[in-house]
Amino acid sequence: MNELRNTFQGIMREVFDDDDIVVSDSTTAEDVLGWDSLMHINLIIAIENHYSIKFATAEIAGLQEDGQNVGTFLQLVANKLK
Amino acid sequence: MKVCSLEFILALILLSAIFPLLRRLRVRQVVFTLANVGFVYSHLHNTQSLVATTIFTLYGYAAAKLLSRRPRPGIFWAYLMGLLLSFVILKNYAFLRVVVGPAGLVSSVQIVGLSYMLFRQIHVVVDSMQQQIPALTFVGYFNYQMNLFALLSGPIQRYPDFDATWSSVSPANLSRHQVLMAYMRVFAGVIKIAALGALAQWVAQDATSYIDAVHAGNEAYDRWAIIGNFLLLYYLFPMYVYLNFAGHCDIVIAGGRLVGLNLPENFRQPYIARNMIDFWNRWHRTLSFFIRDYLFTPMYKALVSRWPRHASVVPAVCYFLALWLAGVWHGSTWNFAVFGLLHGLGVFAAKTWEQRLVSARGRKGLKRYLESRTIRVAAILVNVHFVCLTFLAFHPGVLRYWAIVKTFLGALIPGHIAPR
Repeated sequence: MNELRNTFQGIMREVFDDDDIVVSDSTTAEDVLGWDSLMHINLIIAIENHYSIKFATAEIAGLQEDGQNVGTFLQLVANKLK
Repeated sequence: MKVCSLEFILALILLSAIFPLLRRLRVRQVVFTLANVGFVYSHLHNTQSLVATTIFTLYGYAAAKLLSRRPRPGIFWAYLMGLLLSFVILKNYAFLRVVVGPAGLVSSVQIVGLSYMLFRQIHVVVDSMQQQIPALTFVGYFNYQMNLFALLSGPIQRYPDFDATWSSVSPANLSRHQVLMAYMRVFAGVIKIAALGALAQWVAQDATSYIDAVHAGNEAYDRWAIIGNFLLLYYLFPMYVYLNFAGHCDIVIAGGRLVGLNLPENFRQPYIARNMIDFWNRWHRTLSFFIRDYLFTPMYKALVSRWPRHASVVPAVCYFLALWLAGVWHGSTWNFAVFGLLHGLGVFAAKTWEQRLVSARGRKGLKRYLESRTIRVAAILVNVHFVCLTFLAFHPGVLRYWAIVKTFLGALIPGHIAPR
């Protein structure tokens, strides 16, 4: 999971063009400057391309609901990579 | 039957009294199904409407089942084209009059809650195709589509959220305080619609009639009276739209709660939004989220993957298209196309402005900009006035919309001569 988190952080830094981003499982969209719904989709596209996976519409929407964080995002990615 | 009618409120009281007494899930499901059937039946105009409603419902269920087994893009696009074509025909969109002439319109068939059924159906079919709804049953789907609390004007609930209460709900074991609060909210909804909203509508209509009369030359030209009446219309009509819709949501959300359904909230102080993107995160939120998830996101992903060099332009274009389509969805007449156009331009401008700020000042500069209290107040004032202007387009007739605005603008010029 640590490796996944580090890769995720690297992708986030690239997508948000910000090398100062540091994420943990409890990081939410509100903690990252500029993580709005558009950047969320950019992040999804980057993750999909990096891991060659595909998120369903409901999964992308679910990740934007209240209470979601990097931890739930990573768990979803991990489940798809199994 | 309107949700703020005496019949609906009495039926709601009856349902909320019966439901906690029904201990068996099947019995509660049968009672809820019968209530939904009765509600839909009370809105049917004729046999053709009954047949059309049945076919429309079965079409979505059959497509969901087929695509969950055979998730082929070709089948999905054929389904979607058929759905949208039938929607446009059943809604009698004004452009059809131009294309096929008045004789080609289907005016005798009306499906109650068709616009909302469309979105719920697309959601169920897409999610079934993507294996996100594992156990879709016809009875569950039927009640999801015909849910009397969400049929007429939303909120647009997602199927898994509905199913969570439909298939495994315990009786609505609410405390006395929760029951009281739910009834209070129903009462607040009735007050919003029948008293405050009705008053705002009455004053706005009166002001519209005056401006219409001046424009037609049936009323003496008095520029201050025109300006005063326009301002009444300008501020009170959007207030009426909000009170009417928010009141509706209060009644159905609280009513649903009384029978154990948890419908999503639909409003979050929309008139203090700082731009049009923020506005749509606050106004009719379940529609906004549907548009975001099932229209904007796939469109944006497809365009940006195909044309990555134009990634900076794609968001604004997608925002515009998504909001324009949302506007057109609101109604079948040309004025809603204007409404959608204005909202599309509004979100386009908001996104473009944000991108300019990020380019010029960086993300930290954008954060400072967003945190400025002065800028926030100014942005809210500009935005609320733009929103009010767009809501004037809810009035039927594009030319009438223009006539109202033109009459007001003419009155602002001292010495302006009355139009003839």
